Amino acid sequence: MAEIIFLLIVVPFIAALGCLLFRIQFIRASIIIICAGLLMGGSLFLIPMIPFAYSPGSFFGVNIHEILQGADFLLLLIIFYFGIKHKNLVIQALSIFQAVMLGYLEFFLSDGGGHDVVFYCDHLSLILVLIICIIGSIICLQAIPYMKNHEAHLKIAVSRQPGFFFVMLLFLGGMNGVVLANDMKFLYFFFEVTTLCSFLLIGHDKTERATRNAVRALWMNSIGGAAFVSGLVYLYVKLGMLDMQNIIHTTPQAGIIVLPMALLCFASFTKSAQFPFQSWLLGAMVAPTPVSALLHSSTMVKVGVYLVLRIAPAIQGMFLSQCITVFGAFTFLAGAALAVGQSNGKKVLAYSTISNLGLIFACAGVNTSEAITAAIILIIFHAVSKALLFLCVGTIEQHIESRNIEDMRGLYTRMPLTALITVMGVITMIMPPFGLLLGKWMAMEAAARSFFGIIMIAMGSALTVMYWARWAGILMSDPFAGKFKLERQPVLTWFALISLSLGAASLSVVSPWIYKLGIIPAMGKDYLSSYALDFGILENSFGVFAVLPLSLVAVFGFLIAVLAVKGATRSRIVMPYLSGVQTSEPRVFRGPMNQNVIAEAGNYYLSSIFGETRLTAWINIGAVILLTLVIGGAL
Amino acid sequence: MSNTIIAIIIGFLVAPLVGGLISGLDRIITARLQGRIGPPVWQAFYDVIKLMSKESMVVNVWQAFCAYAYVSAAAIAVVLFFLKSDLLLILFIQAVGAVFLVVGALSSTSPYSQVGAHRELLQILAYEPLIILVIAGIYLETGSFKISAIYDWNQPLIFKLPFLFVALGYALTIKLRKSPFDLSTSHHGHQELVKGVLTDYSGPYLALIEIGHWYDVVLLLGFCSLFWATGAVGMLALLALTYFAEILIDNVTARMTWRWMLGYVWAMGFTLCSVNLIWVILG
Amino acid sequence: MKKMLGKIIASTRMKSPWILHFDCGSCNGCDIEVLACLTPVYDIERFGMVNVGNPMHADILLVTGTVNHRNKKVLTNLYDQMPAPKVVIAIGACGLSGGIFRDAYNVVGGVDRVIPVDVYVPGCPAKPEAIIDGAVLALKKFEVLRQQKLAV
Repeated sequence: MAEIIFLLIVVPFIAALGCLLFRIQFIRASIIIICAGLLMGGSLFLIPMIPFAYSPGSFFGVNIHEILQGADFLLLLIIFYFGIKHKNLVIQALSIFQAVMLGYLEFFLSDGGGHDVVFYCDHLSLILVLIICIIGSIICLQAIPYMKNHEAHLKIAVSRQPGFFFVMLLFLGGMNGVVLANDMKFLYFFFEVTTLCSFLLIGHDKTERATRNAVRALWMNSIGGAAFVSGLVYLYVKLGMLDMQNIIHTTPQAGIIVLPMALLCFASFTKSAQFPFQSWLLGAMVAPTPVSALLHSSTMVKVGVYLVLRIAPAIQGMFLSQCITVFGAFTFLAGAALAVGQSNGKKVLAYSTISNLGLIFACAGVNTSEAITAAIILIIFHAVSKALLFLCVGTIEQHIESRNIEDMRGLYTRMPLTALITVMGVITMIMPPFGLLLGKWMAMEAAARSFFGIIMIAMGSALTVMYWARWAGILMSDPFAGKFKLERQPVLTWFALISLSLGAASLSVVSPWIYKLGIIPAMGKDYLSSYALDFGILENSFGVFAVLPLSLVAVFGFLIAVLAVKGATRSRIVMPYLSGVQTSEPRVFRGPMNQNVIAEAGNYYLSSIFGETRLTAWINIGAVILLTLVIGGAL
Repeated sequence: MSNTIIAIIIGFLVAPLVGGLISGLDRIITARLQGRIGPPVWQAFYDVIKLMSKESMVVNVWQAFCAYAYVSAAAIAVVLFFLKSDLLLILFIQAVGAVFLVVGALSSTSPYSQVGAHRELLQILAYEPLIILVIAGIYLETGSFKISAIYDWNQPLIFKLPFLFVALGYALTIKLRKSPFDLSTSHHGHQELVKGVLTDYSGPYLALIEIGHWYDVVLLLGFCSLFWATGAVGMLALLALTYFAEILIDNVTARMTWRWMLGYVWAMGFTLCSVNLIWVILG
Repeated sequence: MKKMLGKIIASTRMKSPWILHFDCGSCNGCDIEVLACLTPVYDIERFGMVNVGNPMHADILLVTGTVNHRNKKVLTNLYDQMPAPKVVIAIGACGLSGGIFRDAYNVVGGVDRVIPVDVYVPGCPAKPEAIIDGAVLALKKFEVLRQQKLAV
């Protein structure tokens, strides 16, 4: 056990230092590949060991709680330093506030700690660890060729990659720490580590915009950190312990626990970039794409939803829980609406991430067995599909030098396989029988009794279909006769894209068994398992989703459709209809004076309705009101 | 087991025949409303068989993929309906078909297809939330999303969910491509977008899409049938009345813009749904 | 089996001819008459005929008016975009030969100068009855085309 915890948390830290010290491309790549392999292996080794609790007394002879205290204050000092460096008063104030609160907790309230179980791993942690270690590692591998290209493109003389990969690997260790920690002081430390990593990675390119956005991410997340540490102090004062499992399962009185839980939820909302804190996630899109994929879609933002899912059993049936439903559903709708108004591919992905996280929060708020199942399924499949889509956009961006969706028109003729994989990614986002839709289906069935919840989820779901479908459609938009010329990409890029797309598809097929083997135990004794599993069909008293049969039918249908494509390559290819004045060039017609004119058709972004400038202010106001409801309801 | 097989056969083979027949009747009734005689009742089948026999011609090979995907999704949705499966699941599978129709149209560079595809997306945006809310309302009343349980409910749902039925009517009008919502494509010849989403499909692929549309018609009438599930006579009467109302609306209204559609359908639809949902929750 | 299928196809082609109407520079006289066929008085939908707006869906190309140098390319483009089997009907004096405009400097002449024409419907303008009659004649051409294809 000690070894595996060491492997998952400390080894990435060591590998990170290795990346920083050895400044040779080949050695660095080897370190990353070895570390990725170790993490993947380690996470798989974890499977037979759970559930377990583990409290290391010392680390190389030093008391681990003292190490933590030192590291905590060091971390806050670093954040304070960045606050001074970037002349940001908010960061300075928040880091001082956190240090004071933490000092009060450590030196006045607590007696040095050591009573609480430090690490605890159950199925929920395991699911998150698997996501972090496998998807995170794949993204890090893809980052190797990506960053090489990136620096070549920016014409950077002295490579900044050592620093980049240092933070990336550090982050993986920190994430594993967050999901494995049970003592909430440790949880807080790793929580802050991810905040700092995110700040460093967003600012990696050192442009003015990158720095500005990184600072914004730091102060917004510091608000979350402040809320977190306040919640800890409150909890310790009232309960005299910070053991997560204990707190959840031995709820003394609802009245005591509700305010700290609301504060933790607030911290989660900032971490998961829910409205009105969405701007840091959008700003984070200036970072190199692997960063967006790793931090801002598949792992770090999941910390927030993970935390809320952890505490969900404790707030079951409370008003707080209902508020979270409405807040989450609102974010789902608002995120989807803003995504419709965007033509910037990465921003669409960012808003879609916010939106999906909102749906997960809504599920956690509904807090029934079906809803929690839905939330966990959404976490898993969103991580895979969104990581895939981010990597696709990154690959496309390096090739066509634009992240605008309009510029991806007819991408299939230029980058056939990447375009196909992107379409595949989109399909796994919105279509049955793939996992995300399974989750959405469960979410809707679970939320149907929440009046505001279901209305907002229904609207958000339709908007989601809209922004994905038009993107997938235009990738194929060009007359194409069926000659397939594979584009050239580095091996690691192909590995990442293909493994993630196959993973998204195959995981969906086995999702009923993921439910049975992973999610039912993850919900533990707090929720009765709802769905019965029969021939790969999930069924409960009011709903049924035939995952396996539908997957088989989908595979069959896919094969027929592919044969149809093959057949169609033999048929006559004509130019699209342009009122009879088409030329031999697609989208060019013969206009007045026999001149060629280009017929242009753009996507509808409906910016008069769903534009950022138009909606953001209103959505922020709405979100602040709902957030006040969440906190105010707890008081 | 044998019931399952029968249901699959009915869903897969009989449903499109019924759908085709309905669209034949639709054309006759429309013609009569306009003082014409109209085509034979089997006209829809003649059209499809003829299209099947025509030369295979594509703008982009992915059109073929999308046409097959559309018709299979529509067929699977209907089969699941006859298997009395989960309503929400059926809606999602139906949506797969709708999305592939859009993707297929977007795969052509013709502005007519492109604009048609986006209008189709806006139509999806208009009707999908309404159907979800209708399904949620049915669940709140009967306690199940499963059609088997809903068909066993002891009284016609329309008495408890009248406004939701009207909201479903909006969705039905959009989905059947009737005026005033026939923005993306319509059954009638000329329009400003030529044939909208269907502009660049031809021959066999157009035939497939027509068959897919028949499945869609059956599916939507199936949704309507949930509102009177206690007796065959009542159900048929409700369906006939609803469909006739659709044809009447088609003939007395003009095509409107997408802005109007989105505003009107969302405003009216959500009001109706909210009122009825609150009624059910409180009652 | 194959023979029966062929028969079915042949009969459906007769029962569902979709028409594309192209005004190739007509004075609108013939166009009005073509559209009159759709009205309750003539109601060509009785025969399954539909006026489509798109060559990709059409079986019959109905051309009114003279062909000139500007639009001859449009005419061939439309013709090329129709999936086989297809027939062409030229309508009115102008469509047949260029009519009174045939000597104008910009006029190519009748429709058959540019694309093969199967049925000629004379008149200035052609009467709706004549147009329907022409369309029925064109249907017979489908059977001829099918026999030719079988022979090959």
